[in-house]
Amino acid sequence: MTAYFFEFFPHLALAIGGLAVLGAAMFRAHPPRGLLPGLAAFFALLPGLWAFWPDTVASGMTTFFAGLLSVVTLATLGLLSRYADRRGFAGDALYGLLLWSALGMLLLAEATNWLMLLLGLELASLCLYALVAARVDDRLGAEAALKYFLPGAMALAVLVFGISLIYAGSGSLDINESLAAGGPLVAAGLTLALLGIGFKLSLAPVHLWTPDVYQGAPAPIAAFLSTGSKTAVAAALLHLAAEAPTDAANALWPALMGIAGLTMAIGNIGALCQKSLKRLLAFSSIAQMGYVVMAALAVENGGGEAALFYLAAYALMDLGAFGAVGALSNNAADRDAIESYRGLGYVHPWRTGALALCLLSLAGMPPTAGFLGKFLVFGATLRAGYAGLAIFGMLMAIIGIFYSLRVVATLYMREATAAHPVIPAPAGPAAGLTLWAVSAGIVALGVFPGPLLAAIARIVGAE
Amino acid sequence: MRQLPWLTLLIFWPLLAALTMPLLRRSRTACRRFALTASLIELAMAGRVAFFFAGPKADLPLLEDVAWIPDLGIRYTLTLDGLSLVFVLLTAFIGVCCMLASRHDDAARPALYHALILASLSTVQGVFLATDVFLFALFWEAQLLPVFFLIGIFGHGERMRVAIKFFLFSAVGGLLMFLAVIALGIYAADSFQEPTFALDALTKLELPVMAGRWLFAAFMLSFAIKIPLLPVHMWLPDAHTEAPTAGSLILAGLLLKTGGYAVIRFALPLFPEAVATFAPLLMFLGLLGLFYASAVALAQEDVKRLIAYSSIGHMGLAVTAIMAGSRLALGGAVILMVSHGLTAGGLFSMAGMIGERLGSRRIAILGGLWNKAPRFGAAFLFCVLAAAALPGLSGFIGEAMSIFGLFQTHRPAGLFAVAGMAATLIYLLRLARDVLFGPPRTNAAFPDLDARELVLMGALALAILWLGLFPNAVLSIIADPLDQIASLVWPTTAPRLGL
Repeated sequence: MTAYFFEFFPHLALAIGGLAVLGAAMFRAHPPRGLLPGLAAFFALLPGLWAFWPDTVASGMTTFFAGLLSVVTLATLGLLSRYADRRGFAGDALYGLLLWSALGMLLLAEATNWLMLLLGLELASLCLYALVAARVDDRLGAEAALKYFLPGAMALAVLVFGISLIYAGSGSLDINESLAAGGPLVAAGLTLALLGIGFKLSLAPVHLWTPDVYQGAPAPIAAFLSTGSKTAVAAALLHLAAEAPTDAANALWPALMGIAGLTMAIGNIGALCQKSLKRLLAFSSIAQMGYVVMAALAVENGGGEAALFYLAAYALMDLGAFGAVGALSNNAADRDAIESYRGLGYVHPWRTGALALCLLSLAGMPPTAGFLGKFLVFGATLRAGYAGLAIFGMLMAIIGIFYSLRVVATLYMREATAAHPVIPAPAGPAAGLTLWAVSAGIVALGVFPGPLLAAIARIVGAE
Repeated sequence: MRQLPWLTLLIFWPLLAALTMPLLRRSRTACRRFALTASLIELAMAGRVAFFFAGPKADLPLLEDVAWIPDLGIRYTLTLDGLSLVFVLLTAFIGVCCMLASRHDDAARPALYHALILASLSTVQGVFLATDVFLFALFWEAQLLPVFFLIGIFGHGERMRVAIKFFLFSAVGGLLMFLAVIALGIYAADSFQEPTFALDALTKLELPVMAGRWLFAAFMLSFAIKIPLLPVHMWLPDAHTEAPTAGSLILAGLLLKTGGYAVIRFALPLFPEAVATFAPLLMFLGLLGLFYASAVALAQEDVKRLIAYSSIGHMGLAVTAIMAGSRLALGGAVILMVSHGLTAGGLFSMAGMIGERLGSRRIAILGGLWNKAPRFGAAFLFCVLAAAALPGLSGFIGEAMSIFGLFQTHRPAGLFAVAGMAATLIYLLRLARDVLFGPPRTNAAFPDLDARELVLMGALALAILWLGLFPNAVLSIIADPLDQIASLVWPTTAPRLGL
């Protein structure tokens, strides 16, 4: 019993944490300001501590994602607490749903069983639908939630159909076992399952919901959405790619290659012509997922390690970027138009500095985590023999540099205009601390990646 | 004293100084003093390191080597041999010049301005010292960032567009080279059974012929953009013209040199086969650049733009000399690059002074400065003559060695190079005539050099004169490293020709 308790400690912590937040609100109708986020942060911290416990019994994937999701959830809470408070949508439901959504992501990332995968995905998504619409008086948010929900339901249907085909073809719900069985039904099912996952990962050509949702969602929620949910779904993709039977792989890999290329192209070129920063970041996150798919293709050649490192780096970059957008916004609406960021670098040097650092990291500039992430991902791709795709990816990365620079240049090289007030709401100590921590993490991962790489090597070695 | 990690200090001292600059942002004078002191300390450290070369040469080159990312075989390896030393000294010297160059550009945000200059010194020193190819690629990319902000924030005209153009051009090359570095690492990991990015190990790598050529092309594209070689030079005139004076100094004095240095240090020894194949093409492009730059420079209306084009010509000649396959020309190319760093530095400084005094740098409003401002005129003429390779000044040694070397291996190329230098003379003399002599075309006052500018130009002039009169100091320092590189690239034709 104790062993079970220890093994499922992070899951329990997140589940109970959600209940505790709801319960606290039940007993205190008007809880003091820091209580609910503090409570949620405490429970979000526990999986992270557990991940660093010396002799864990759980699988490497669980440990890694317990740590990563703990970081993501904590950072989101830090960014969200003051933001939500000032805009009047803070509450027990917000923080409870956040924790449960993280629980779903954890289940999804570590799933070895198709039903668990489905359950995790749905738990995470259902909570997220509500979170996107958390700001009830904001029509854009409601619209975004609907736009997120409909493709999500579609993706679910496709995924469920795929899983049922796999079950019919192999007679097993265990992911490894069923995929090892092979056969045409399993291959067809896997195709559909990958399509469903592609929806969630916003791979081209099923990416269309992403910009609208990220633009409409409150910035900290968009941060959570683009990091937590994406990394967990990408973990599932990596798992499937690693276990895919040879015949299915032979048929699917060329298509996946095309999807990776298309995703990088659409993400980067799409971002090029955006006038809204949140949409630009959304397209950029589409492009980043293209790199992850590229690494997933090379999963036999160290792509798994590369993708996990890239996901960790990406999580930090997007948390920082969306977080900074939230911290630079005033109460009425998020600061969205790129024009409104003119000259902001001199008015709010710290918050803007975090934004610039994240953008440069997304562009893959040294000495940030993005530089090393690109190094690993492209290394794995070349090693697997996809030289053409790697060169194409690099060319797309150059476009990525262009739009990131355009924003950075707007921040520092143009004069502020009167049309856009430069005074945002105060970010609050938690958000400031989070931005600091995320920025430090980005530089630390870029300069001293050794510990994380060693941890990832242990995980992949153990799998 | 040898125990101190001198090379690490050389790289990270300016960065550290840059990071402390914001504390002084309230006072412009404090910023200037601190930045100047920091760059003087950097120069002193470079001088201290050079001192190791004067003693018995037992434990050279200086080496600092620490495992950095062991899983990937990436090491933090800095090596200082004679070739690096020359450029490290140049960097530290140009750094001091940058701090003296302008009292106008830093008006708005002095702390940021000086911090960016210091940061770019830091990254450039990194490029000159790194011998782990991954580390080199990291510094290579990183050196774009400070210059990007320097141009974009403190530049003139359409600075934002120009800064982005500069960055994109360089990043295109940089990222493709980055891909080539990764591929090189994979080949190395396969053939040595363990991952490594050490330059020494990689030079022993037996690459497949076609792969070697592709990788060389990727490396060379990146270097060619930085040098810049002819078809990929388009970023340079804009960037040099719109950059603040210190930015132009860094661009012409240092960034272009990183390109030439990287060709010698990395492209030659890593891909000897591809060098032999592509050398004629690269020599042709270099010579073409020499003529093209002369022709375009003649048509320029802006002093700074004209000098920018002269950079293309001089660096084109340097590339031709590097690729000539002659040890003599290789040494000449190094001298040529150092000399160009000094003369272009001087000319850009004075173009900046013209702009600050008159508010415009158009040749149409200049003329007669020789009489109006005799000290300025003398310094300007000195730099023009040094760029035109007057015997006794630094340009002459480099060009003479390059051309003698070219005649040894490629006689027609040597002939064209001589003709190209003659073409260079035309626009340089025209520049001197239009700026210094003839009747003044405006009545605007033109104050002569003040004390700070005198110190700056005096230091540059002394360096130019010293290099022109006593080139042997530099030549003997770079002899050993260049011999080693030449024996790797041209094993059959590597007897020490001449010097």
